[in-house]
Amino acid sequence: LHKLVHIMDSFQLNSNSDSIKDIFDSSLNLEETHYKEGYTEGYNDGLSSGKDEGRQVGLKTGFQVGEELGFYRGCIDIWNSAIRVDPTCFSSRVQKSIKQMDELVEKYPKLEPENESVTNIMDSLRLKFRAICATMNVKLEYDGYPKPSDVKDIM
Amino acid sequence: MSLIDESFELREIQRLEGHTDRVWSLAWKPATGIGGVPAVLASCSGDKTVRIWEQSRLTGSFECKAVLEETHTRTVRSCAWSPSGKLLATGSFDATTAIWDKVGDDYECVSTLEGHENEVKSVSWNASGSLLATCGRDKSVWIWEVLPGNEFECVSVLQGHTQDVKMVQWHPSMDILCSCSYDNTIKVWAEDGDSDDWHCVQTINESSDGHSSTVWALSFNSSGDKMVTCSDDLTIKIWGADIMKMQSGDGIAPWKHICTLSGYHDRTIFSAHWSREGIIASGAADDAIRLFVPGEND
Repeated sequence: LHKLVHIMDSFQLNSNSDSIKDIFDSSLNLEETHYKEGYTEGYNDGLSSGKDEGRQVGLKTGFQVGEELGFYRGCIDIWNSAIRVDPTCFSSRVQKSIKQMDELVEKYPKLEPENESVTNIMDSLRLKFRAICATMNVKLEYDGYPKPSDVKDIM
Repeated sequence: MSLIDESFELREIQRLEGHTDRVWSLAWKPATGIGGVPAVLASCSGDKTVRIWEQSRLTGSFECKAVLEETHTRTVRSCAWSPSGKLLATGSFDATTAIWDKVGDDYECVSTLEGHENEVKSVSWNASGSLLATCGRDKSVWIWEVLPGNEFECVSVLQGHTQDVKMVQWHPSMDILCSCSYDNTIKVWAEDGDSDDWHCVQTINESSDGHSSTVWALSFNSSGDKMVTCSDDLTIKIWGADIMKMQSGDGIAPWKHICTLSGYHDRTIFSAHWSREGIIASGAADDAIRLFVPGEND
């Protein structure tokens, strides 16, 4: 009753054509209200499933990148150890390439996946690695490790 | 007396038989065929072998002197002698490039270059014989340096072509490398200083008057100021560059289109070569070989 009186009061206060519109506004806006509700629901749903998917993609990509970088790190460390034991074991060109690979691995922006240079650095690393392996005449690949995409098959 | 006044006739002098599959490529051994040294020719084939042929002093006909086998496990696609004639490089579909040295009367495989992911399509030595370039279906171009004792080091792996690279050729006097590809482009590669840092300094594509389909071959003239390319687009194109400028260390002068020869072949032109005397020979899938000489104005 209190509310009704309140409405009646505002009805009387705005006694022009606008006030009639006010009463009908809420029913006219039903469509808009429902649209807004639906939108908000969908948005929130999308936000949470998007986050989930993003987490999975991030995990997979992060793993792959990390694994590849780690592999190069390992190779570089072994090569550097060999050089320390015998500085003549590799040619100066190969040593220079190893040093360049070292710098690239260090400079890879591990914590900034959106950094534009990630593809360039990885491409350069792969090319240098292939050139070094070709010169040393060794086949080094890390496909002994199952990649996340392979895990399904193993199971 | 210009070449255009002369009349040319191609006459078959001998048919060499021995290969048991298609012959993909041939290479004349440098410093042979003149000065009393019998001409020597290498041929490579789908039968996985390379044959060395030598012209007999007595009869003048070519005989097979050696068969280089049991090394490549697939088609040998390309062969090239080093400028001194000492070494022969052979590129194969088995993804390797073999280096052969003559030991006595026979040829021995002294090195195997691995690195390409799949079929090697072409091999080329630079003018001084210090560098070897290879290219292949994996879209990459590799540059190798020749070291004492027939050791090879990979200098650089060049990526840039977006498709199969059909041929690589070194410039006749400068260490500039050109490649042509299924991606319809011709790329020019040069080193930045002396640092092993090779990169693409020019890409000739359709918009720069380039070919509109696979470019199968390229060849420089003897002075190195022009090159000829041929393509699946049925044309042969001539390109020129300001060599003087390049040689004086003034940077890399770009290659510019000089002219396009069309209407001479109605099938894919697979091969083009510029002879020392200035004659361009082309070979196409229409089973024709054509010879071109420069006219008054081109």
